[in-house]
Parts: sequence; structure tokens; C-alpha cells
Amino acid sequence: MFKVEKLGKRYGEIRAVDDISFEVRKGELYGLLGPNGAGKTTTMSMLSGLLRPDEGRILFDGIDLAADPIRVKARLGVVPQETALYENLSARENLRFWGGLYGLAGAALDRAVDRVLEQVGLAGRAKDAVRAYSGGMKRRLNLGLGLVHSPQAVLMDEPTVGIDPQARLNILEVVKNVVASGATVLYTTHYLEEAETLCDRIGIMDHGRILAEGTLEELKRRVGKKEILTVRGSFDAEAAKARLTGTAGVLSITAEPGRLTLSVDGAGRAAVDLLSGILSSGMQVEGVSIQPPSLSSLFLDLTGRELRD
Amino acid sequence: MHRLRRLRLLIVKDLRRKARAPLGLIVVLAFPLLFAGMIGLVFGSKGESIPKVRLLVENLDGDTFLSRGLVSALTSTQMADYFDVKVVHDEGAALMEKGEASALLVVPRGFSSDLLAGRPLSLALVRNPAEGILPEIAEQSARMLVEVLDGGARVLRGPLDDLRPFIGENRPVITDESVAAISVAVHHAFDGASTFLTPPVITLADAFVTRAPDETGKKNADSVSNIFLFVLPGVAVYALFLVGDQGMRDLLTEAAAGTLRRQMAGPVDAGAIVVAKAAFTAILAAIAAVLLALVGALAGGAGVSVVGFVLLSLALIVAVTGASAAIYGLARNERQGATLASLVYLILGFAGGSFIPLQNLPPSVRVFSTISPFYWATQGYRLLLTSDAGAAAILPNAGVLAAIGVVLLAVGARGLGRAVRRGAGA
Repeated sequence: MFKVEKLGKRYGEIRAVDDISFEVRKGELYGLLGPNGAGKTTTMSMLSGLLRPDEGRILFDGIDLAADPIRVKARLGVVPQETALYENLSARENLRFWGGLYGLAGAALDRAVDRVLEQVGLAGRAKDAVRAYSGGMKRRLNLGLGLVHSPQAVLMDEPTVGIDPQARLNILEVVKNVVASGATVLYTTHYLEEAETLCDRIGIMDHGRILAEGTLEELKRRVGKKEILTVRGSFDAEAAKARLTGTAGVLSITAEPGRLTLSVDGAGRAAVDLLSGILSSGMQVEGVSIQPPSLSSLFLDLTGRELRD
Repeated sequence: MHRLRRLRLLIVKDLRRKARAPLGLIVVLAFPLLFAGMIGLVFGSKGESIPKVRLLVENLDGDTFLSRGLVSALTSTQMADYFDVKVVHDEGAALMEKGEASALLVVPRGFSSDLLAGRPLSLALVRNPAEGILPEIAEQSARMLVEVLDGGARVLRGPLDDLRPFIGENRPVITDESVAAISVAVHHAFDGASTFLTPPVITLADAFVTRAPDETGKKNADSVSNIFLFVLPGVAVYALFLVGDQGMRDLLTEAAAGTLRRQMAGPVDAGAIVVAKAAFTAILAAIAAVLLALVGALAGGAGVSVVGFVLLSLALIVAVTGASAAIYGLARNERQGATLASLVYLILGFAGGSFIPLQNLPPSVRVFSTISPFYWATQGYRLLLTSDAGAAAILPNAGVLAAIGVVLLAVGARGLGRAVRRGAGA
């Protein structure tokens, strides 16, 4: 459905998006996973036709976005990261406006508005002004506005940022239903568990580049048996890092105040031996955790740092 | 077809939003009504004549030549339009105590002889503290009178000296030769001072004049001096520009709210968004113009040329839309645009005579009046409201306004297109 070829965007000296290529297949949910500043939103802005790429091209269902943007935009749904709503209009009025803008009218528009209101769980509050809604309700409506015209593909830019767990679950449920209805979804997130539970395929992004891409299983295979060993306590993390660098089985180390994160080859007894060494070294350890191979360990392995909320 | 439908959707959406949050519009529309209403109340409400300054004149100089002349001048027919002058003797102070006059002018003993002799003298003015503006008018008029007397005494120094022997007790019989000599001296004195005396430096003639008396009786004679209708056009024009500001500012409000970006992610181009916002601004200004016109009609301006009024209003709406487009096309954000608009409209409003009558503005400011759309709109409406002017009389005003509007719209459209793309993050 989407074919992105050698896409690039530069802001002065900074390459926000650096020569990325990927493909999103029809009916799949493709996730772009990366920390803030990785280039996800810039990529989404280019895909939604809001930002002109400096390099590369975007094809949507074979149509070059740069050549015929209005035709492509009419078939896309966009869910921006920040809620973009008319606060003094009701949910129904918001939906009717956006549905109308995408060409819906009459009974078809009425049906579409009712369907979305049900889908996002706002049918009971449809006539209330949006300014009276809670943050979670606004997020749900924000999502609904991108779906009202039943687009072939939906671009969702971190739709669950800053909301409570209940509202997040609700939104994730809607996203699953959208994909189940046959639409293609490109979804950006910096939540590992969202990418793991939701996405058919995942592209791991950092510093404007896609570092790895594949299904969750493919990515995990790439991790191999690497485990993440995290040690917390009152110690000089930089000194500990210097002492542990080069230890057998340790692949990489990240030091932060009171926290040491090590990528360890879990194939042997490396993690156990390393832990014994740390505990007997006199470091004041308050907590230890070992994570099995996951996207988190892959991200650490790829970037040398952790992906955290 | 789709394009027109989208334009309609965008405009209706904005009108609906404005209807849900009308406070800003109400405040802007209330401003000219309150302002004109307050001025009207001070100077006399709807349909009433301007209140005259009740002036008492106490002549302590007795029956002398110059003091009689001064009192005659103050009680002349021309002055009667503005002053209700009553000559009193000793009861002046008592009447002032009772609050029966705005001011008391005291002509001192020896006024004539001192003036003829070129000795310093002073007129005394007592103001009624219970009144606000009318005593101020009396004082300003008295100051003007003093300037005139002072100037006259200096210019006519020679002839006055020649005249002095013939005034007062034991005066000789004035001969024809003496009259001729004094006349020639007066003529020469005026000739010599003509550079300074003409044109008159100060006039009182049209300080509060509104409508010329209507002898045909077609219009309500009361509305001749209707201060409300005199003040309303200027402040209403200013209010319409502020309404236009609200309309176009909404583009940057939408940019800040993210809805502009969302529109641009849909099947709408920047041009359609700019056109829709300009149309919304024009409709908002038209609604405001209709509301203000209704108030003006209720206040006694019902007899104006409807065709002229509509023509001028349409041209003004184009100018309002153009001005706001140009300002918000330049602005980088909502706050910057609002600040720029306030500043520009205030300056143009003052220079264009929206708040202060043009003749009261300094000449250096008046030079710029004609480049202000406020000037053409305010003068046009005043012409319609305060005389029998028809549509033809305001055609130049409407033409200039429309031309200013079209030029500003063309300038603003480019900037607004950039603002839309910027707001969309493009």
C-alpha cells in the first residue's frame, strides 16, 4: 500500500530523516518504533503530504504522493499526535465536518458518524461540546476523526501518548478493529509493549534511520540469546562500567547515575557469573533484574541505549 | 463542485464556531455603541439638540464702547447656536452658586480704556464645577476670544491710538476727516497683518455641527444635531476592522490548535483554506455592518440612501477583509498578528478621523488621512448620515475602499498561503 524509497528530510545541519526505505503491505499494521526525536513524526508528516521530502519518494497504491497529493490524501486517514479538534463544537459536529471534507454527504455521512461514535465509545456524549470532554475522550474522538471516511490507510502518530491505561486499552482496541476491517495502518510509538502486541511488522527507528525491520519473531531471532541485566543501587556507575568493560559475555554497557544496564550473552553462564562478580565487588546494589531476549534488548544492542517511556 | 462544497463546509464550520463563542464579537460590536452612546448622552441623547453653553456675562466696565461691542459679539446670532448668553449685573456669582450656568465671564472695570491704552488686562472666567464638558467649552471659547482681542489690539495699535481722544468724557466732535483718517489707518493695519490674519487661525464654526437644517421638512429636524449619529460612523468603522481581525486571526488560531494541519492533511489545498477564511471574515464583517446599521437606523438615521449605504458597506467589507489578510499574511503567529492589527488600526483610525474630527487633528497627521481606509469609510458614512447625500456622493469613497481592499487582499493572499503551509508544518 505504501512504498517509501530513500526518503530524507533535513533541518539545517540535522538530518531528521536519513535515507529510509520501507514498505507497508495492504491490510497490515506496520509500527515505527523509536524514542522521541527518532524521526517518526517527520516521516509521518511526509507520508501525510504535510511536509515535502528533500529526497526520495512516497508511493501510495502506486500513486506518487508528490505528483497527486489531493488524490492520495482523499484515501488516507490521519490521526495526529496532538489532539486537533474544534473544542466548542460537539463530537457529532466535528465528525460531520471532517466527514464532509472528505466528500461524505447525506445519509452516508450520518451512517459514518454514527458508526464512528459507537466505535470510539462516544455515542452517549455525541451532542456535548468537546471542551467538556476528558483527555481520554478527546483522544478517542481525535482517533475517530481520522476514521470517519473509512480510509484505505490510516496514519496514526503516537495516538496513546499521555493518556490513562483504560483509555489506552480502548484506543488499542479501536486500532485492532480498524485493521480487522481491512484498512492498512502505519502506527508510530515509543512504547515497546504496543509495538510487540499490536504490530504485524515493526521498523526500529533512531536518529532518522531504520535500524532493523521485520515481524516480532524475526526481530527476536536477530536478538539471539542476548539478555538485559539491569543493576540499580548507590555506586559510581561510570567507574563500574569501566571496571566491567571487556568482561567475558558482556556485549555492551550503559551507565547512568545509580543504574547500570548490560547487554549480556545469555547463551552460557555469563549473566550469573557477572552478577556474582558485581555483588562481590563491594558495589552497593539495591536491585537486579534480568530481561529475556526482547525488542528492548535489540534496541539496546542496536543503539547502545535503552528505549524507555 | 467538490471545491465549492468544501468551501461552504469550511465557512459554515467557522460561523458555527463563532456562534458558539460569540463573546469576542459582542464586545467588539458593543464598543461603538457604548462609545457613541456615551458621547450622545453627554451632549444630548437621540434626536435632541446639542445643549448650549449657558454663559453669564457680567460687564463691570459699564456702558463703554469696547465692552458693549464685546457683549454684543457674545450675544450675536452666530453665537446663539452654541451659547445661551445672559447679561447680568451683580447677581452673576449668586446664579453660579445656584448652578444655573456653565460659566460666568467677568468683563473688568476699565476694560475699554486699558485695551485702548495697550495696558495689560484680564478677563475673568468662573466655571461651574458641577458640569464636565460645557464649562470646558466656555473656557476654550474665552481663551480664543482673548487671543482675538490680544491680536486685534496689537494689529490696530495705531488706529486705536487715533481713536482714543474721541472716546470717553469731554471727547471732541469727530469730523469726517478724522473718520476717514482712522479708516485708512485701519485698512493699512489689516493690509500689513493680512499674512497673519487670513485665513483665520481658529474657527468655532464646525466643532459640533452635524446636519445642515433641512428646510424641506423631509427629515426629522431633531436629528440635525444628533451626536450619536455623528460619532457612530467613526467608531463603527473601527469596530468593523476589529471584527475582520477576529475572522482572519482564526486562521492562526487553527494553526496553533492543530486543526489547520489536519485540514491540510485532507483533500484540501492551501488556497481553498485561505479563500474560505477570507469569505468567513467578510461574512462576519457583513453581519456586524448590518447590526450596526440597524442601531444607526433606530437612532434616527433611517432616512439615509440605502443604495449608498449598501455600496459603501460592501466596499468597506472588501477593505476590512483585505487589511486583515495583509496583516495576518505578515504575522508569524497569532499574538504577533493581533498586536500588529491593534497598532495599525489604531494609527489608521486616528489618522482617518474615526475618533477625532479631522479638523481637530494636527496638520502633520491630516496629511496621511487620505491613505487610511478609515478616512474614506468614516467620511462616506458621515456624508450619508448627516446630509441628504445619495449613492453618487459616496461613490469615490466606495471606489477607494474597494481598491484598497483588492490590493491588500492580493498582497495578503500570498502571505496567508505561506502561513497556512507553515501552520501545517510544510
